[in-house]
Amino acid sequence: MPGRVIKVKRAEKLGLLERLYVPMIAKGLLVTARHFFRNLRGFITGKNRTDFVVQFPEERIDYPDAFRGMPVLVQLENGEPRCVACGLCEFACPTDCISIVAGELPDSGIERYPEAFDIDMSRCMFCGLCEEACPEEAIVMSREVEISTFTRDAMLYRKADLLVPENLLKRRLDFLRGEYEREDAPSQSG
Amino acid sequence: MLLEVVLKTLFILMIVVGVFAPIMTWVERKQSAMMQDRIGANRADVAGITLLGLLHPAADVIKLLTKEDVVPRGANRVMHLMAPVIAAVPAIVAFAVIPYGGVYQFGDHTLSLVVADIDWGLLYLFATGSLATYGAVMAGWSSNNNWSLLGGVRNTAQMISYEVTMGLSVVGIFMVFGTLKLTDMALAQDQTFRLLGFIEVFGLGMLPPWLDWIRLPNWGIFLQPLGFLMFLTCIMAENKRPPFDLPEADSELVAGYFTEYSGMRFGLFYMSEFIEVAVISGLLTALFLGGWAVPYLSQDTIIGAIAPIFGDGLATIVCMVLHVVTFLVKVIVMVWFQMLIRWSLPRFRYDQVMDLCWKILLPLSLANVFATALVMLAVGAA
Repeated sequence: MPGRVIKVKRAEKLGLLERLYVPMIAKGLLVTARHFFRNLRGFITGKNRTDFVVQFPEERIDYPDAFRGMPVLVQLENGEPRCVACGLCEFACPTDCISIVAGELPDSGIERYPEAFDIDMSRCMFCGLCEEACPEEAIVMSREVEISTFTRDAMLYRKADLLVPENLLKRRLDFLRGEYEREDAPSQSG
Repeated sequence: MLLEVVLKTLFILMIVVGVFAPIMTWVERKQSAMMQDRIGANRADVAGITLLGLLHPAADVIKLLTKEDVVPRGANRVMHLMAPVIAAVPAIVAFAVIPYGGVYQFGDHTLSLVVADIDWGLLYLFATGSLATYGAVMAGWSSNNNWSLLGGVRNTAQMISYEVTMGLSVVGIFMVFGTLKLTDMALAQDQTFRLLGFIEVFGLGMLPPWLDWIRLPNWGIFLQPLGFLMFLTCIMAENKRPPFDLPEADSELVAGYFTEYSGMRFGLFYMSEFIEVAVISGLLTALFLGGWAVPYLSQDTIIGAIAPIFGDGLATIVCMVLHVVTFLVKVIVMVWFQMLIRWSLPRFRYDQVMDLCWKILLPLSLANVFATALVMLAVGAA
């Protein structure tokens, strides 16, 4: 669906005022000066400030549901991952940062589970293809992005580091379900 | 006598080098932030006190002083180390001739608030302004770096071009005031003139007395509006700050002539640039904005009005303080205005800078001199 198209009308030839240059400079200076004085007033009175800066470490804004942070594993209420170790995300990953060792669970209904599930966050590029590939909604993109460390080893996330309880990921899961049910969702061939 | 000179020098040095230059980095960051709807520097703190980001200049200086002072291999060591000093000194000494207050009579003693009251003050300013160019050119040449050299060459061309026009654009001013002495110019600007006085001068009719009240201060900007615009353009080009920062041109020449500088020598280039902003503001104020003059209130009027209350001596001191404050306010407004221009206009292309100088400003300044001469001749004849 194309966005709204706005046609800007521009004069082909410059007018006299534009060619004189000085009036246009004055006009430009007025614009910046207006912002300066408005913010100065806002700075003194504390009202009507036009700046929209977020003082980051102290202040944070909520990321939208569509935001892709680091991938995490959905943890069920019994503490186990929902993952069935099918290996599709491993296959879909363009940077090969996922490695899974599958194990057997003969007594349960799901038969397979990941014995090990490692993601090398130093290689992950947050593309979200693992999430798309997953048939079980078991790996989803979280809103977590502040994952810097002092060593490379700490960038390797084990299964225990990746597990996040399902109720904390509800917004993302709801968003995903909504996306797949959308009527104008892009088709696979499209 | 010597003590007086030392005190005056210390005062102006303290104001310009001690207050204006360091705070200018803060002003620049804060003002640009406000113009662009941001907040600006506010992080540096001592025990949680940030003072609106005023500690940033101090933090910058500490950082620059503790950094390694690198001289690149193959560079001309002596020149490389000397260039920042040569760039900074003319900027500082230029303030010697700018009057920051009038002439005051204390009994027998005459106090003139200017460090060096010389007859050729304006020529001295042009001379020091040209000397400042050498710093940048030497820095560019001695760094053994292509970007630096290009910056230095550009700097030379730009300075030579704008020097000519800058000189010509103020010829009108010293024709009007009839002097090169900056103190005399400031004194002349303390008066007012009748806006419609030309009607009487040319014998077109007599003015009714109530029209005498429509007066303007005798400021250069009102007598030479075109000269003011041209001088402002030229002197901003001389200062090499945006929109005329072609010797620096971050997007083309890395950092131009001071690409190879680090530590406090790099800081010295920055400081000289900021001092120049203050000098330019002082010069514009002295030449075009009435210097220390309070508009519509001449020195005699002020002293005459408050002398009966305070007595002569105290009244003169009050008047002096008022004049110095007026001068500083005007300088601050001009600094603000230069920052406004610096953060509003994009950089000119190199050919545009040269076109502006040789094809537009030079003919205009000559025409301005000619028109001024014609008007003065006509007024003199009438």
